[in-house]
Amino acid sequence: MIVRKLALLALFASSLVPLAQAQIKHIEMRVEGMT
Amino acid sequence: MKQHLGRQSGVEKVDVSLIDGKVDVTPKDDGQIDPIQLLKATYDSGVTAAEMTMTAQGKIVKDPSGNLALKINPNQSFVITPNELSKTLEPLADSQTVVTVRGHLFKKPAGKKKAAPATPLKLLLLEVQKKD
Repeated sequence: MIVRKLALLALFASSLVPLAQAQIKHIEMRVEGMT
Repeated sequence: MKQHLGRQSGVEKVDVSLIDGKVDVTPKDDGQIDPIQLLKATYDSGVTAAEMTMTAQGKIVKDPSGNLALKINPNQSFVITPNELSKTLEPLADSQTVVTVRGHLFKKPAGKKKAAPATPLKLLLLEVQKKD
């Protein structure tokens, strides 16, 4: 029973990892007309 | 402009270089930042955005029209403009692979004084930095 719960937890965690890594890291803009 | 951009949701830090007109925006750790809002905030502060480049991590997906897109989260994805680099990412479409890419989200057309960004923004890949 515990093994089954652990396996389900591992499966759930592995599905979350790629989404947790996904993000905008940096944005760079070049602008005109700045004083 | 620095203060105006700094107030936008998801912005951690804004660095402005007056000499070369460069603005660096560092998102907060959660990465929940909206480039369109940043462009709007830039226009609202009275300057013209000539170019916007983004570095982002996400998964490559195919949208219902068959276009490749970079999916950052369930609510945020950017259609990828086809080029040589995008072809190298085609095999990763709809896989679990997370890629880190850098690309243009907006570039003002040459000769125009002010150009409103097309929405939704399209990502023109400049570099594929990492595939996990």
